[in-house]
Amino acid sequence: MKYNGIYPNKCGKFGDFGGIFAPEVLMPALCELDEAFEKYRNDESFKKEFYQILESYGGRPTPLFYAKRLSENVGCKVYLKREDLLHGGAHKLNNVIGQALLAKKMGKKKLVAETGAGQHGFATAIAGAYFGMETKVFMGKVDIARQAYNVYRMQLLGAEVIPVESGSKTLKDAINDGLRYWITNVRDTHYLMGSVVGPHPYPLLVREFQRIIGIETKKQIMELEGRLPNAIMACIGGGSNAIGIMYDFIENENVQLIGVEAAGEGLETGKHSIALGLGRRGVLHGSLMYLLQNEYGNILKSHSISAGLDYPGVGPEHCFLKELSRLRVETATDNETLESFQKLSVLEGIIPALESSHALACLEKIKGEFNKDDIVIINLSGSGSKDLNIIKQRLEFKVK
Amino acid sequence: MNDTNRILDLFNEKNSLEEKYFMPFLVCGDPSIEQFISMVKKIAPYIDLLELGVPFSDPIADGPTIQEANMRAFEAGINTKVALDIIKKIRTFFTKPIVILTYYNILIQGSETIESSLDNTLRRFKESGIDGIVIADLPIEEAGLALKYCKKHNISLIFLIAPTTTDDRLEKILKEAIGFIYLISILGVTGAREKVAQITKETIKRVKEKIKTRIPVFLGFGISKPEHASAVAELGADGIIIGSAIIDIIKRNLSNFSKMEQELVEFISSIKNAIKRSN
Repeated sequence: MKYNGIYPNKCGKFGDFGGIFAPEVLMPALCELDEAFEKYRNDESFKKEFYQILESYGGRPTPLFYAKRLSENVGCKVYLKREDLLHGGAHKLNNVIGQALLAKKMGKKKLVAETGAGQHGFATAIAGAYFGMETKVFMGKVDIARQAYNVYRMQLLGAEVIPVESGSKTLKDAINDGLRYWITNVRDTHYLMGSVVGPHPYPLLVREFQRIIGIETKKQIMELEGRLPNAIMACIGGGSNAIGIMYDFIENENVQLIGVEAAGEGLETGKHSIALGLGRRGVLHGSLMYLLQNEYGNILKSHSISAGLDYPGVGPEHCFLKELSRLRVETATDNETLESFQKLSVLEGIIPALESSHALACLEKIKGEFNKDDIVIINLSGSGSKDLNIIKQRLEFKVK
Repeated sequence: MNDTNRILDLFNEKNSLEEKYFMPFLVCGDPSIEQFISMVKKIAPYIDLLELGVPFSDPIADGPTIQEANMRAFEAGINTKVALDIIKKIRTFFTKPIVILTYYNILIQGSETIESSLDNTLRRFKESGIDGIVIADLPIEEAGLALKYCKKHNISLIFLIAPTTTDDRLEKILKEAIGFIYLISILGVTGAREKVAQITKETIKRVKEKIKTRIPVFLGFGISKPEHASAVAELGADGIIIGSAIIDIIKRNLSNFSKMEQELVEFISSIKNAIKRSN
């Protein structure tokens, strides 16, 4: 199939999905951002500067690691793309360095971002410090209470964390308040969107900055195995780590692309974040996508043990890829995720983020589909050190 | 019924653009459904058009005052179906134009496709008695379907214009605008402000100069006092819209409904008087 370079179209559409459903006040800023990105995306010196920062400051390229003991355990060849080793402990750095560099070129002085668990906020604070830009991070009051450690890390880096009291006081409300702030301060401020969601051009530019994951992965697996993988698996919340690793494999139709959504406490409880699997089309945060919503179009609360997947929508490109039957959508519950989290820690000495553990948990569920020589690549999008407080409540060890 | 549109009737009358119009904004069902209908009855004599918010769970263009009003309305049981019933009840005593303000997602639910949902929802709103609609997160670039079905059901799709709207986009918007133009006075979300921003004057002038037809310009966002109202009327706006300052009165008097109604009537009539003087 021909895909790369075609989507989104000029209007930000991936088929029916995406678009620019934004208040009029933001339209000039979105157009300006779109123009700036079009100007710099093919600019060799911009690309070089972007990659140099990721290399010298971020630690790219990240390893593609053959997980030998895990492979023996599940019965196929499992490789882990180690985005957890990137500076900041997650793939988020790719996006924030890209957007902050672009904002700097556009003459913006300040960064504003939303955060759920604090990972994107932390990454934005890193970029703010690196580029010397004043940084404000909007974070739901409920999340601030749950993620005191990340709040402290952002503050250490000089960012201002602003508590959000509206709505459910979590990620979606942090986006609302961040956008409201941007509406009022649009002239000198760049809104640094954390995932492939939001109005055009965000889903496009976040994807382009995260694509480096897939570009490296393809090169590395060819060097290591001389062939493409049978499947690539990644967790999907908003979807930036998934599109990042998958995009350069979309046209390779023999490579299965499997996105794993958070089933939370289970489908039947209603406490989950399965927007692709169970959502209906709707518009939230500027983009048409699959959404968890009630019959009248009001957005429902999502749930997941991992705050990074706890979002009632999903990026428009994933919706489109699902509709094209190019993306296979699976789920993993909180409990399945915890088991896989522990398993990887014990088998490989790697503590994965709870988000990435969803992809590991899904492999556990579908491992029967793969033969011994099949190659499965999992995007290990982040490190689990940020999750230890949550894990500790569920998993206690005794010192003898 | 489909052939009446009270907005177009109002502005088609002879010399009507010599007058200044006042459109207050209330959130449908705030603070409760009965009290809301009663309030509308009380203020009806002092207003020219009525703007009703149909709440959405994630209103990114609204400040804290209207967000809180939305929450009260949700607690009172508001949804599209209830909003339609409320508008029907208001139509039993209110004959002036009604404009609803909502977000796109509210309008694209209920049927198989987005297009058929939009068709149905707009038809039901028209049948309940509305004349115009403002969709806070629908810029001209995405408005194709909404324009098609608003035309079909004879509803004026009211577009917003901001101080930052560029000239080429302004022209695109003016080409499609029907009813009136909703000019946002400031860079910001909804909410009462102490002063009317300096940006307003140049924006009104710039928009007025671009207008080739006889479409009125209403100014909203941040207006909170009779002095503001007369000042912006003098700057050349044809109408003013006040939301948050009115909703603040509701919030201040949640425990005393008769005082709430009394203060509302006092405030709203003072605004009407202020812009009348500048007529």
